[in-house]
Amino acid sequence: MTDTPLPPDAPIEVKDPSRLRLALDSDFFYTFKRSPVAVVSFSVVSIMVLAAVFAPWIAPHDPFNPGSLNLMNGFSAPMEPNAFTGDIFWLGTDDQGRDVFSTILYGMRISLFVGAAAVAFAMVLGVTLGLLAGYVGGWTETIIMRIADVQLTFPAILVAMLIFGVAKGITPVEYRDQMAIWVLILAIGLSDWVQFARVVRGATLVEKNKEYVQAARLIGRTSPAIMLRHILPNVLSPVLVIATISLALAIIAEATLSFLGVGAPPTQPSLGTLIRIGQGFLFSGEWWILLFPAVTLLTLALSVNLLGDWLRDALNPRLR
Amino acid sequence: MRRHLFAAVLLCAPAAHAAEFTWSETTDPQTMDPHAVNSTPVLGFLGNVYEGLVRRDEDMKIVPALATGWEPIGEGEGWRFSLRQGVKFHDGSDFDATDVLFSYERASSEQADTSSWFAPVSGVRMVDNYTVEIMTNAPNPIFVDSIANWMMLDSGWAKANDATRPDKDAGNYATLNTNGTGPFRVTRREPGLRTVLEPFDGWWDDATHNITRAELTPIQNPATAVAALLSGDVDFINPVPIQDTERLKQNPDVNVIQGIEARVIMLGFPHEAATLKYSAETMDKNPFADVRVRQAVGHAINVPAILQTIMRGNAQEVSQLVGPGMRGYSTGLAERPAYDTDRARALLAEAGYSDGFSFGFKCTNDRYLNDESVCQAVTGMLAQVGLRATLDAMPVQNYWPELRADNYDMYLLGWSPGTFDAEHPIRFLAATPNEEKKLGSWNFGGYSNARVDELLPMIQSEIDDTKRQGMLDEVTAILQDQAAYTTLYVQPLIWGTRANIELTQRPDNFFNLRWVTVDQ
Repeated sequence: MTDTPLPPDAPIEVKDPSRLRLALDSDFFYTFKRSPVAVVSFSVVSIMVLAAVFAPWIAPHDPFNPGSLNLMNGFSAPMEPNAFTGDIFWLGTDDQGRDVFSTILYGMRISLFVGAAAVAFAMVLGVTLGLLAGYVGGWTETIIMRIADVQLTFPAILVAMLIFGVAKGITPVEYRDQMAIWVLILAIGLSDWVQFARVVRGATLVEKNKEYVQAARLIGRTSPAIMLRHILPNVLSPVLVIATISLALAIIAEATLSFLGVGAPPTQPSLGTLIRIGQGFLFSGEWWILLFPAVTLLTLALSVNLLGDWLRDALNPRLR
Repeated sequence: MRRHLFAAVLLCAPAAHAAEFTWSETTDPQTMDPHAVNSTPVLGFLGNVYEGLVRRDEDMKIVPALATGWEPIGEGEGWRFSLRQGVKFHDGSDFDATDVLFSYERASSEQADTSSWFAPVSGVRMVDNYTVEIMTNAPNPIFVDSIANWMMLDSGWAKANDATRPDKDAGNYATLNTNGTGPFRVTRREPGLRTVLEPFDGWWDDATHNITRAELTPIQNPATAVAALLSGDVDFINPVPIQDTERLKQNPDVNVIQGIEARVIMLGFPHEAATLKYSAETMDKNPFADVRVRQAVGHAINVPAILQTIMRGNAQEVSQLVGPGMRGYSTGLAERPAYDTDRARALLAEAGYSDGFSFGFKCTNDRYLNDESVCQAVTGMLAQVGLRATLDAMPVQNYWPELRADNYDMYLLGWSPGTFDAEHPIRFLAATPNEEKKLGSWNFGGYSNARVDELLPMIQSEIDDTKRQGMLDEVTAILQDQAAYTTLYVQPLIWGTRANIELTQRPDNFFNLRWVTVDQ
């Protein structure tokens, strides 16, 4: 088969440009390439996400297995051999002899997972309620939007702490550690849906009076179908922007809760928990326990935020 | 004119400020009722407000307080106390024998946490207004030592405010309000936030301090407390985090006062429970009822490593319920079970748990030095032999109720013998719990051994030191043999003050405001 060459004069088939080609040629990608901030922050986020996802293969130790720790490795300074065991740790160890580098990788995993899942949860909830409020109107709208207004009067972190406290009270203690992560997601998600709902409602109010919606209604499409298939795709771009910025906020909210000691358990530390642990050694000279997780959190939140900012500008035609 | 005023303010301000004293501790005293909770944060704080018949001086010696003297009655049937006359409570009422009688009934009542202090007491008699006799079941040479923390309440005040019995759980008037005879009175109490004290002008003794106002602010986070001390926001912190001790010693603005506390840190087990509470797979039995499992725990924990890293060489390991230096310490039994994971695994296999088991481990996170870190390390070490603990660390306020409700499979406990005698922990931690006899009130796991119960009253009434020590040694041997508790170490006592503060540190970790001087 391979030895039959193509005739040189064969007609060239004109293919549809591939999806990748379309994406690479798009305005969106063009502005991305032209913005160094976007490129850098996107690369940083990608590297961090990849490092977190592949943490079990990258990390030299498993910090979540208490049985694998050697207490004598505790308080090793970065790149210096431990006084008792002679082991060397890139970023040092904490009081339990946990390798800080591995713990950061695993902690980032929890921070990113909680952040992404919480935003996804908030997005689904907020978009659904916002669509409903905007499209159905009437009492449904009043009730949903008043609940949203009431919730806006509480700081998000307070709402999250409240939910976390109640959930911790009702979960049996033997499941508490496993549940902590899901409770965090629920708590942060529930404190964050309002933004999505408000934006989507506003956009839906505009869209629902346009001709294509009226046409869809005329040909007899059901309301759920109109909302999901016609309106939703047209209100998604602001949602995308909010989602990105919310991700940074959710990561910080998780870190705050964990820092306050009500988030991820110490046996399964997230970045916030690590910072809380490290804070205890601030005066005693073991700076690395605090510094490295804090810098990681800062880099992560900053990159996501910058990416969100760029996205907002890129998707806003008025700014072009 | 304005300039003069300004100068006057400048002149007055430092003088007025200097004698104000602010301090912080990790744990807020959870009640102001001296009979409701028998714990160091509560009794240590209230020692500034209330007083007992006797008190301890700077060197822990028993000296007269509300009693001016005491003498044994007959052949050790009890003790006769002569009360100090002219003592006033903070509200102005007089102190006399009726208050002693009332305080006895209150502190020994079923609702009181202090009732086990009065286990050897058969009755209290009022001879006249300023003489009381306390009768004991058997000769009790150390009785006077054992009531140094028994504080006197005014019977009239308690009755008028419906607080004739302490209420551990719901609380009552005496939980938030005080009326003692001590050198300081509480002028403001905001639980968990601040407690303000002012000197009591009508105190019977001469004031040895120069404080005009003192304020206790609990700071749970040790790093925050250190920052507050360094910045001068507080004048005294207890404790200084072990990790910060070296740094603070080099700072000329602060002093670090270090000593060995009498407190033994140990692990407790549910001896009586039929099943584990928090196990994922071992539902139908309680492995800790098997002595081999408890011994395995002792061998699995690398105490020297904990002391080396987490405690940074500031604590010493201990093999029994009291540390060396306490009266009645068994010098011949000073060896802790050696760290030996193979031995631990072998013991577990012998007991039928070669794959280990999972269970719940309760721990405090604001009570003992680095308690949560130690618990994490213990969790890790136990995991290495297959004992998979789920650690649940909580503030001490929620901790005691959880233990009293038996919500644990293993727990951390620190015990400081109030009498500085080895008999004390036996009475509280090793005697079979018995409410009527007021024994074993902190023996959460219900450890019970007939011989220990038999020896305890004999130890209490033995006057011959050698015989007494023999019996204490026997009890210690039984407790070690049975691995009733896994004792870990004696924790250090590290206080930090501003350089202009002078105070006295006592090994029972009681902080007395009356020994504080603030240099102007």
